[in-house]
Amino acid sequence: MPVDASARRRHTAVVLGDRAAPEPTPAPEPDPVVRGVVTEITPRLVAVATAQGEERFLFEAATTFWCGRETGLSALRVGDDVVVRCRAGRAVAERIWVRLARVTGVIAERSGETLVVDTGHTGGRRSVVVPYRYSGRIGVRHPVLEPGYLLDVIGVFEDGAVQAVVPATTQPPFPVWDAAPAKAPEAVGDRIRGSVSWYDPAVGDPDRAGLLGAAYPAVDRDSDCGPGCDRVRGCLPLPLLSLGTTLSLRNECTGDSAVLPVVDCASVTAHFCDRCTDCGPGEEGRIAQLTLGAFLALGGRPESGCFNATLTLG
Amino acid sequence: MVTVLDVVREAQLLVLAVILLPGAAAKLLDRSPRGQGPAVLLPIGWRRPATLAHGAAEGVLALALLGAWGIAGDAARIGAALLFAGGAAALVVLRRSSPETGCGCFGGLSTTPVDWRSIARSGLLAVSALAAIGVPSSAAGVAAGATLGHAGVLALEAVLIGALSPELVELARRAARPVPCAVREIPVQRTLARLRASDVWRSNAAVVEGTEPLDVWRQGCWRFAVFPGRRSGRPVDVVFGIPLEGRRPAIRAVITDRETGEVLYALGGLADSGRGGRPRRQAPAGVEVQSVGDAVSAHGPEREADSQVTA
Repeated sequence: MPVDASARRRHTAVVLGDRAAPEPTPAPEPDPVVRGVVTEITPRLVAVATAQGEERFLFEAATTFWCGRETGLSALRVGDDVVVRCRAGRAVAERIWVRLARVTGVIAERSGETLVVDTGHTGGRRSVVVPYRYSGRIGVRHPVLEPGYLLDVIGVFEDGAVQAVVPATTQPPFPVWDAAPAKAPEAVGDRIRGSVSWYDPAVGDPDRAGLLGAAYPAVDRDSDCGPGCDRVRGCLPLPLLSLGTTLSLRNECTGDSAVLPVVDCASVTAHFCDRCTDCGPGEEGRIAQLTLGAFLALGGRPESGCFNATLTLG
Repeated sequence: MVTVLDVVREAQLLVLAVILLPGAAAKLLDRSPRGQGPAVLLPIGWRRPATLAHGAAEGVLALALLGAWGIAGDAARIGAALLFAGGAAALVVLRRSSPETGCGCFGGLSTTPVDWRSIARSGLLAVSALAAIGVPSSAAGVAAGATLGHAGVLALEAVLIGALSPELVELARRAARPVPCAVREIPVQRTLARLRASDVWRSNAAVVEGTEPLDVWRQGCWRFAVFPGRRSGRPVDVVFGIPLEGRRPAIRAVITDRETGEVLYALGGLADSGRGGRPRRQAPAGVEVQSVGDAVSAHGPEREADSQVTA
């Protein structure tokens, strides 16, 4: 049965009060982040087919492009999946990420340069190629590309496959089954500090490309995580929640904050007990994986992979 | 004539059986993906089978110690001695190769990193098993004819083994500091059983249609269940908020109009104790509580309760 997330939040609020179940922050109008497919490129503008129709974005001298690295207009091709952060009422492109992709999970198989990664019971298995030219950069922080080891890489879609370009974290030096099980916390505070990363909700369902929400590592096993739940106890004392409940998150790097609904289970995230160094070392452990749109709305930089955040419970 | 040494040797059968049985149960029930104790020295694919085999061996030996005598009994005692001696050696290796790992002797309870106590305990039990070789009776027979001497030996060994058991410290820690309710796994069925046994459920029984909830979800220390209902001929949602902590939680109920979402009635902070507590009506901020239905009016006087509890 599909979850009626808004009904859950509304019902929680009437029982516990609005503070315990705040309304999700609405998307800004106009939304400065646009996701779509490039339909036309000229030296002065790019046309992008979005869910709302075709939109055109002017380039300016300060417009930047990212396609596995800082690049220029030449990286853009008609048909590319792009994320555009714009300004001036969606008229001017400020930064464009081209064919952006990310794979986070546990390596399940390896065949030459191709890895099959288990991204958790909801995301299934995804293939990622570690090309020879990027293997050195990946290998610095992911020295063991063998089954059982964690992988978190940011890359680009190339010929229908994800090519790993930059590592998003440092891999633990042991497989997940040799990680010491986390102890049960002695207390759960009202504020939990850690990091948040991002994922692309459009993988497997393009209609979810603009979704604003969070995949949460501690989704209740009985009500939502389901019989195939592969959740483990992570290193953060995260309370068990269900889909539809809301999280108040603050980006400690930029000061941006938002209330986001839990839209997915991020069971694999609990394996990562790392620190985000995007703006100084933060606390160990990941609070959530935000959808790409939510990550950008909170001021995150997708190419860095994470930011330090504080989760406030109602 | 029964000597003190005979009493000591006979008591070892009881000690061994009492140690082996819970150890076997803990290993057979263990579901940790990583495995416990010396099993982590094996490749991942072998850990679960090895743990199960270890638990099964302990169970068989415990039953044999309890019921067998003569040659079969001695075989079980030799088997137990080999098992504990091998376990002590494996723990020495485990301490060197994986120093943060627990001995796994009692499954998930034995998570304290292996130290000299766990190794000494295994060695002591191996000696106990060797000492019991040649005892003419089984553990059950010893228990049936136990004397004060047996009880004294058992008490002394219980103190000694207790001092060598980090599991007791872990048990005390868990008892003193239970897992916070916000992170504790609690089955939905247990929550619903608690709801159905409550006064709040009985108060709203006339409104609720159907026995199974439309939706169940969780927010930290609270679980919510929505049931379909009908009130004054209109379809309504009956929302129950069930605290997951406390023996007699104050369950809350709110009835909302299914079409408009308007709150029709809220019942919260009920003294669900059956000890004379009175129901309290609770109005969430900004909500005017309307007339109470027949099903709840029988609960006597009402008063305002705190309007908000956070999870």
